[in-house]
Order: sequence, then C-alpha cells, then structure tokens
Amino acid sequence: MTLIIAPPTRLESALAYLNGLLAGSEREVRELRRSPDRLMALVTAPLLTLVFLAIMLQAGREDLAPFAVLAPALLVLWQMALQTSGDTVESERENGSLEALVVAPAPFPAVITGRIAAVTTVSMLGFVESWLVAALVFGVRVEIYHPWVFVGAVLATAYATAGSAMALAALFVRTRAARAFQNTLTYPFYILGGIIVPVSYLPDWLEPATRLVFLSWSSDLMRSSLDAGPVQGVALHLVMIVLLGTLGGVVGGVLVRRALAEVRQTGTIGHA
Amino acid sequence: MQYGRAVGSAVAVVGLRREFGGRRGQPVVTALKDVNLQIPEGEIHGLLGPNGAGKTTLCKILSTVLLPTRGSVEICGYDVESETAAVRRLIGIVFGGERGLYTRLTARGNLEFWASLYGLSGTQSQRRVGQLLERLGLDQRADTRVETFSRGMKQRLHLARGLIGDPRVLILDEPTTGMDPVAAQEFRTLVTSLQTEGRTILVTTHDMAEAEAICDRVTLIDHGSVLATERPSTLGRWITRYARVRASGLLPAQVAPVTAALSGLDGVATVHEVAEGTLLVDTAADGAAPAVMRLLLDLGITDVATTRPDLAEVYLRVIGNRGMRVDR
Repeated sequence: MTLIIAPPTRLESALAYLNGLLAGSEREVRELRRSPDRLMALVTAPLLTLVFLAIMLQAGREDLAPFAVLAPALLVLWQMALQTSGDTVESERENGSLEALVVAPAPFPAVITGRIAAVTTVSMLGFVESWLVAALVFGVRVEIYHPWVFVGAVLATAYATAGSAMALAALFVRTRAARAFQNTLTYPFYILGGIIVPVSYLPDWLEPATRLVFLSWSSDLMRSSLDAGPVQGVALHLVMIVLLGTLGGVVGGVLVRRALAEVRQTGTIGHA
Repeated sequence: MQYGRAVGSAVAVVGLRREFGGRRGQPVVTALKDVNLQIPEGEIHGLLGPNGAGKTTLCKILSTVLLPTRGSVEICGYDVESETAAVRRLIGIVFGGERGLYTRLTARGNLEFWASLYGLSGTQSQRRVGQLLERLGLDQRADTRVETFSRGMKQRLHLARGLIGDPRVLILDEPTTGMDPVAAQEFRTLVTSLQTEGRTILVTTHDMAEAEAICDRVTLIDHGSVLATERPSTLGRWITRYARVRASGLLPAQVAPVTAALSGLDGVATVHEVAEGTLLVDTAADGAAPAVMRLLLDLGITDVATTRPDLAEVYLRVIGNRGMRVDR
C-alpha cells in the first residue's frame, strides 16, 4: 500500500518545529549533565561577585551592591548563550553530524533554539549564585523591592537571549572561525548591554547603539527593580526586551535557513 | 504501509551534473557529469568506485545535503530540490566512519534524540529505539556512553540512527569503512535483512567483494561518470576474465621467445616487458590466466604472480569492447 505524502501543512510544520525545539533542549540538558566543563561560566559568577563586591564595599559604596550582584549573573547569561550558539554549529560540524542534522525532518533552527533555550534556563543559576555570595560571604542582602518586575525582566531577558543567540548562530553557520567570533562578541555586548556599567554612565553618543541591544533594557529594568523607589517604564522596557529578542530570533531563523540553502549550493556545509 | 508516490523507481537520476567552486576565481571542479541512474523499489544497489569517483557527492545530493547543478533527482517520485521536506521523510542516511554520533551520550540517548527530530512521540520513540537496539545487537550496551564503543558497534548505531524514521530509501555511504572482517560481515547481513522489509538500499563502496555479497545490481562510477550498471556476478566474471599475470626473473635471451609463446595463447590480450626481465600479461578471456601460468611454468619461469586489474580498467576495457564512449 502506498500513501501519497502531501506537502506539510502549517500544523505539521509547527509540530516539526516543536519536535526540533524539544529535541534540542532535551539533548542540551543531557550533554550538560555529562559535560560539566560547559558549565564553567557558572563557576565564574561567584568569583566575579566576590571581586565586584569587594571593590565597592572597600570604596564604601554599599549602595552599589545591586550592580555588583547583577553584573556577574548577566555576564553568565550572555556568555553561556554565546558559547552555545557558536558551539551548536561548530561542534556538530566537527562531530560530523551537521549534515545528518540539517536533513532531518525537524528544522535545524528549531534544534539550535531548543539548545540555547535550555542553556539559558540553566544559566539563570548565576542569579542565585551571585545573591548567595553577597549574603554568605559579605553579609550583604540585596533586596528585590519589586519582585514581579524583577521576575518579568528575568523571563523576558531569557527569551531575548535565546532569540539573539539565534541571530549569532546564523553567523556561525557561515563561518569556519565561529570560536574567534564568539570571543570577540563578548565585551562589546557587556558594554553596550550596560551589564558592567549602566549605559547612562557611558558617553551620550553611545546611547543610540545601546538601545538596540536588549541587554541594555534588561539591565536597566533589573537594577530599577532592586531600587526602593518606583520603577519607571516597566511596560516599555519589557516590550523592548521581547521585541528585540523576537527580532533577533526571526532574523536569525531566516539567516540560518538562507545560510543552509547557500551551503547546500556551495557544498561547504560539513567542512570543519 | 509505505509512504511516497506510486512510482517504479525509488531513485531516479537524470542528467545529473554537480560542480564545485567557480566563485571568486576558484576553478570549477566537476564532481558528477551527466549521471543517469534508476533504482527500482526494493533493490540493494551498489555504487562502486575508487576514492574521489563521485559516490559521496551523489549520496549527498540524494539525501538533500547538496543541490544539483543541473539535472533532476527524484526519490520515490519527489524532487530533491523542490520537494525537500517530503524527500527527507522518506530517506535515512548513514555516513561511514566513526564520526557523526554524540559520544558523550548513550546509544539510547543518541537514538532518542534522532527519534524526536523525526517526530516520534515518547511512547513511539521508546518502542522504536528499543526495537532497533535489540535488532542491531546493542541492547546490552544501550545505556553505555558511545565513546566506549568499538568501531563496529558505532557503525551499527549509525545504521540504527538511519533507520529511526523508518525510511523507504536507505543511503549507506561507505558503511563498513575501517571495520574488521567479522564486523563488516555482520553489518552486511543486517543490511541484507533490511531488504526483506521492502526498503530500497543504496550502498557505496570501493570493495568489490562487498558489492558482490549484498547488491542486486552495481553501478560503477569513476571521475564523476557512470561507467556501467550490471549484476555483481557479471562484474566478478569481468575481473577474473581480465586478470593479469606478472612473470619476473627472465633472462634477456628468454624475453623474446616467451613473449611470442604467450602472445600465441588464446585469450591473451597483450604482453609487455614492463621492466628488465619482467613481463606483464593482460588476459581477456575466461581461463586464460591459468593457461598463461601453466605455459610459464613449462618454460621454467617460476617467479609468477597474478593480479586483479582495478575496476576502472576492467570497465574501460569492457565498455571499449562494446564500442561505448567513456568520457574521462
């Protein structure tokens, strides 16, 4: 008996995407359990918190403690997402599995998104680590005055991180020097994202550029949620974080598809 | 139940050409030149040729990894270029070698990941993965990390991965590369058993014995061109027919009379002195090589050896005899 295969419907395409998403995230969780070296960024979070807090307390600026606690957590978030977005493509290429992966029925961008989403979720532990170091080592209790704003900002940031990492993955599909790009893309985002220093402290001419980076909205909103005063522009910040993250995800998805179509043409897909 | 259009050929390749390079002043390299190939449903088809012949490029086009430069390629009636999604649901691909598996995951973990990509639900995935692990003899090591597996076990896991989506067409690219003879034989037995399920299998190899053991028909490919498609038994006969005999240690005075005597034998195509005191005799008929050896021994020449010509030479000679032009 022979059945005709019809072109996939929207529902089937959506299900295939979901399959890829789930497969990617599940695989990432399994790999993380078996490869603790990939969680090294989480080891740096407590150390960075120690350094930042020690400097601020020594300078008598306990009021800046929320900055010192937030920065390492956001560093870990971005670092792990960047690492995964680059490694997802590069490691599959080196492993010889990239070709089989891109011809599987589930879309490859979905698998990448799933892996990045899983890593981003795990990287949230960085927040817990930073808070614990502040409390247990320095006895500094960083109060979250607006917990719902904080939770909303963290969730929106996780979403945007996964989306933006997708755009970077598109770049890594095309290049054979993914790891070099990974390294060079860390500090510009730390600065433009206001992770270490609030963007308001940077030169005015940099501000337009910082507002294109979702992390600048995230770090501002998170810092505001740790302040006793009222939080201004919660909705605007959340919308901008989600919007920029979605934009990154959509553009990234399109670019990955285009890059895959191009490498099918050039025959360079499996080149390590 | 099978999926796909009701067509006679599982694989239909017409006028396929694939070029690489040509951008930014790079030279154009033609990997496949006007390849035509029809593989009926349920056939185990061998793609035989030396390294660099174009076998892997053809497999990559069939499996949608690469696009054709020109020509049409259909899998069960679906075009690999315009109906990619349908083709991907019909094929399974197994690349040879140890790479391609997630070595830090277990065998089960690897297969469950691929099962998800093929849309199998939790229960379906568990059942299918369990069946494949058992069938391929990996059930005892299902929960062991793949990095501890032997090459043969890894290749069986590769095959299980290729079968996870229950493909109608299975593409095996050099699947027994690097395996020891026992593991390779076990693997061939597994492949043969898949044919009974109605699957079409395309297997690339440069090993004639492997092609003879498992294939219904074999296509010889070299320098990107299909030289011939025949049954393996025919190829085996050709190779025997075109055996070469090498006689060494002849004295200068022996060379001319021995050459004359050998040239007079039925089935001897050519006799050349390839080095001082060494003659190379090309035969072109069944039973000619033993006759050549007997004559040499009768003439007191004992340093005698037979060699099999490589497949490309055999095909060129056979096809040349048929008057077919081979574009090399």
